[in-house]
Amino acid sequence: MVERQSPLEPDFHVGSHGNFEHGVEVILTETRPDSIVQLAAWPGEEKMLIAAIRTVTGLALPDGAGAGVSDGVKSAFGFAPGKFIVAGEAEGLADAFAKVVTPVIGTVTDISHGRTAIRIAGPKAEWVLSKFFAIDFALTAFAVGAGRSTVHHDIFAQIQRTGTDQFDIYVFRSFARSVWKALCRASEEVGYDVQ
Amino acid sequence: MSPRRTDTGGRIDRLKTIRFTFDGTAYTGHAGDTLASALLAKGVILLGRSFKYHRPRGLLTAGVEEPNALVTVLKGEVREPNIPATMVEIHDGLVAVSQNRFPSLAFDINAVNQLGGKLLSAGFYYKTFMGPVVGPLKGTRFWMFCEHFIRRAAGLGSAGSAKDTARYERMNAFCDVLVVGSGPAGLMAAKAASDQGARVILADLEPRLGGSANWTGETIDGAPAADWARRTVAQLEGRDNVRLLPRTTVWGYYDGNTLAALERVSDHKDQPGKGEPRHRHWAIRAKSVVLATGAFERPLVFPGNDRPGVMLAHAAERFANEFGVLPGQRIALFTNNDSAYRAAVALKKAGAAIAAIVDVRPEPSADMRELATEAGAELLAAHAVIATEGGRALSGLKLQRFDMSNGALNGEARSMHADCLLMSGGWSPTIHLASQAGARAEWDAARQAFLPPKPAQDGPVQRWIGAGAFTGSFSTAAAMAEGRAAGISAAGATNTPAALPVVDAVPGDPDPAPVFEIRASGKSFVDFQHDVTAEDVRLAHREGFVSVEHLKRYTTLGMATDQGKSSNIPGLAIMAEALGKPIPEVGTTRFRPPFAPVSIGSLAAERFGDLRPERLTPMHDWHLANGATMYSAGLWYRPMIYALAGETVEQAYVREARATRESAGIVDVSTLGKIAVQGPDAAEFLDRVYTNMFSTLAVGKARYGLMLREDGLAFDDGTTWRLGEQDFLMTTTTANAGKVMQHLEYFLDVIWPDLKVHVTSVTDEWAGAAIGGPKARQILATCVTGTAVGNATLPFMGIVRGRIADVPVMICRLSFSGEMAFEVYCGAGHSTHVWEALLDAGKPFGLVTYGLEALGTMRIEKGHVTGAEIDGRTTARDLHLDWMLSKKKPFIGSAMMDREGLIASERLELVGLIALDNRPLNGGAHIVEEVDEANPHDSIGHITACCYSPALGKYIALALVKGGKARRGTRAHVSDPLRGRFGPVEIVSNHFYDPDGNRMHG
Repeated sequence: MVERQSPLEPDFHVGSHGNFEHGVEVILTETRPDSIVQLAAWPGEEKMLIAAIRTVTGLALPDGAGAGVSDGVKSAFGFAPGKFIVAGEAEGLADAFAKVVTPVIGTVTDISHGRTAIRIAGPKAEWVLSKFFAIDFALTAFAVGAGRSTVHHDIFAQIQRTGTDQFDIYVFRSFARSVWKALCRASEEVGYDVQ
Repeated sequence: MSPRRTDTGGRIDRLKTIRFTFDGTAYTGHAGDTLASALLAKGVILLGRSFKYHRPRGLLTAGVEEPNALVTVLKGEVREPNIPATMVEIHDGLVAVSQNRFPSLAFDINAVNQLGGKLLSAGFYYKTFMGPVVGPLKGTRFWMFCEHFIRRAAGLGSAGSAKDTARYERMNAFCDVLVVGSGPAGLMAAKAASDQGARVILADLEPRLGGSANWTGETIDGAPAADWARRTVAQLEGRDNVRLLPRTTVWGYYDGNTLAALERVSDHKDQPGKGEPRHRHWAIRAKSVVLATGAFERPLVFPGNDRPGVMLAHAAERFANEFGVLPGQRIALFTNNDSAYRAAVALKKAGAAIAAIVDVRPEPSADMRELATEAGAELLAAHAVIATEGGRALSGLKLQRFDMSNGALNGEARSMHADCLLMSGGWSPTIHLASQAGARAEWDAARQAFLPPKPAQDGPVQRWIGAGAFTGSFSTAAAMAEGRAAGISAAGATNTPAALPVVDAVPGDPDPAPVFEIRASGKSFVDFQHDVTAEDVRLAHREGFVSVEHLKRYTTLGMATDQGKSSNIPGLAIMAEALGKPIPEVGTTRFRPPFAPVSIGSLAAERFGDLRPERLTPMHDWHLANGATMYSAGLWYRPMIYALAGETVEQAYVREARATRESAGIVDVSTLGKIAVQGPDAAEFLDRVYTNMFSTLAVGKARYGLMLREDGLAFDDGTTWRLGEQDFLMTTTTANAGKVMQHLEYFLDVIWPDLKVHVTSVTDEWAGAAIGGPKARQILATCVTGTAVGNATLPFMGIVRGRIADVPVMICRLSFSGEMAFEVYCGAGHSTHVWEALLDAGKPFGLVTYGLEALGTMRIEKGHVTGAEIDGRTTARDLHLDWMLSKKKPFIGSAMMDREGLIASERLELVGLIALDNRPLNGGAHIVEEVDEANPHDSIGHITACCYSPALGKYIALALVKGGKARRGTRAHVSDPLRGRFGPVEIVSNHFYDPDGNRMHG
């Protein structure tokens, strides 16, 4: 198995950075799921697709705009009407879905290499993300598991809340280093760890 | 302790000494001081020179509305001008300098302007310098000549040119209730709204929350109001649903209840914390807004009202109570309302002697008489100040009896010694944000002020509620009651009666006498910042200006950094009197954002110095490590050349292109746009999108496709691979990837929603390497496993799947270079691994890496088009691609492509050019038929791309030339006067090299 190269490598410096003398309030990392799959249902077939997600991953995805779920290993969330991102640690998720998501239900697109997943966690995660994205990150407005499609710096980003103070940001691989550097810089103020 | 600093009182920390400099002189102050209070404490009262007349000026106010004491703050090489000294918090190492003076603040040469008197009235510069003929300088040329000198003499501070190294940030915030202003009304509103569970943001431009509670000397629930404020703030601080934003000016109110605010995060610190920004721009989306922005005290307009030592009454009260500084030892007050009496008592308590209270009203109330007595002041009712005395500081004033019913002065003038004169002309609610939100202010005759209209909580665009002095409720008790009600209402709850804090305040009537000006001899300033006098306003009237908006433009009243915060109403009142109309009929100007100056850096925020993100291919780091010179192509960075030591760009790309044609070359093509087109109707969709047929394409094959725009002009080209019956991989040009994606999404969403097709950008999923040249197939054969790559398995436009170095790859045989070539795609995360494996395999065959220059050279030699030729003006026929226009089906653009103008014979068509003088050609150069170098004209076209062709040994170009095809074999000239290039060229076919494609097809 050939290991995948991270687009962040030259700027991925493990350790504490910024104003960390009084503790770090943000942890940044790359989650590197082996599979990232985009699923899209034809109009009217959304529930079938949600059922397919459950069949393949065991994740019971709530119905509704931006709804999502994460079990710590696999994650799924809606990012547009009838469209979902599913990520997991095992390779071959796209092949597994291809067997279940028939042409009658929708399409499966493997984007495992094409997206980079950056995780930001910690008590100041909302604060740092709010510097970039004009969306409400408060827990009351953005529930755990839910996803959002948004944009910053002309870069499309899909964000899933995977914990009370934890978010996974999916960005196009070619932009990932720019996003990473911007996140690191924005986190300096509160002190951050790269893990 | 300095002579003006009180021994006790104020909210400064006397144990903490701060050192700073002003105009090069070292001073000390205390933690909690502003530059204004610290300098005042040291007896420094001359803080600026006026805009036009260079008159000496001191502090007029204690807050953001300060028009006089503007300073420049220096941080290293960076200078920030025009900051009110009242808003600069001192810190160790602060360096501030005064402005608009030469050579010094005390001795300013341009003070001679004061002698100009009436000459320099409103409109002087335009009347004098626009139009006259002075020697060779006529009309505006004379003005242009003089402007430099006039601008040097007039104005505010000057901006620096050093790069600002500070950090700026943006913050997006959402809340249920935004409370603007943290005085008693704002604090009550924030508390009440948060009690209801609402998410609250409380913003105030001052560093210390509490507003007037910090300096009025009132008591709330038996304790000093400042203590109540501190306790309330502490309470709010402990709540999860409340965010407090001190030092934050809410400066703009926009549609959808979006408000803009500027937080001065670290201006008050010697050094910002690590990673801490200087300023933070807040974009706040609030469900509801409570405007508790208070009110500004107005000056009175009388001769000499701008002399240093003349100050607003509440400002002096604030300096005494909040900063422990007395603005003078012997103080007189001049007022048209009751609020100044409280200031007199406060200053008396702080240790000053109150010489007199001069009141324009004939009969101040008994309460006021009592307060005057308490202050130890002589009460001079029905009197007015008619002049001030002194040089650069006040030494005394002149009084006269005054009849406020007709404005007449009578009786003998009387002199009085005083080193400080406080004035109060009533209060104007700070309605700027409501005005920005569209609220039309209403004149209140009792308050003599423009008040905001009724709350617009149910407005379709803006939802705000007012509270406190903002609404004209000037008493603290009323403000607190309104604040609570506003907070509850803003949170969407119903107000229920509750016990309110008990306020013990000095009594007073909130309504002033309608007196704005005392007309006597001498300059009476209305707008201190722009040196606009009462006479200027009357001059504007005499010259026919009737609209308040025109008045503003003619006199500059209300312009500059303070935007007329203290001058608007007095100016308006004087204009109204001149017009003989009541004030409401004259109207007021609409306030626009920003409320106070905003740093441009904060608006740029994280984009400051970094205007665009970098887009990198998966092999980017390999390219850098292996000597590539990178080239910016849109957001992408691509290798231009891989130069050997000592090579020029031309030498490098010629070597790379020649080696590719002779053996093999490899180039990173990961930037090509790649779009997955999937679904049962994918083939049908592509038939509609492309000019040629795709539904007939076999699985495992690729086809070159051309797209037109709806208007029939060429749009984009690329190959599309059929990976499955319902699964296509479309490639686009690098530059047009985004546009093509939008184009496809638009047609699927809007025009053909019935088609079952999904499109997904997979540009970043696949890394691409194009390997071409006579040895390319052999190289692949040595490293590809799992599939053959021979002609039978992989014919031209065929696709196979295999592995390279244990990584799955897709290989398509297609060519841009004109050689036998293959595009090898793999998952982007494996790209460098595969790239290096290909290079290893290619070593024995002389494989070279090549960049965009060689890529461009080979495509020019082949006559392929790119965005330089598909430029939004050319048709498929212009580019000789009409063979791709299917006649069997309609497609996007087919209905419009045959319009008369698009098939005219004189259109620019693609041709090749060969330089006959063997000199380089330039992109953009014109093609002319004339031989006259000195007078080239009648361009017949232009060059779109050019290079030295190693295959031909000549400088060649592609060009768009009128009737191009018919001109093949003729000669013309290239004309590029800007770059000094003129020379003969031969017009030939765009297919310079291997026109039959023998090398490509093998």
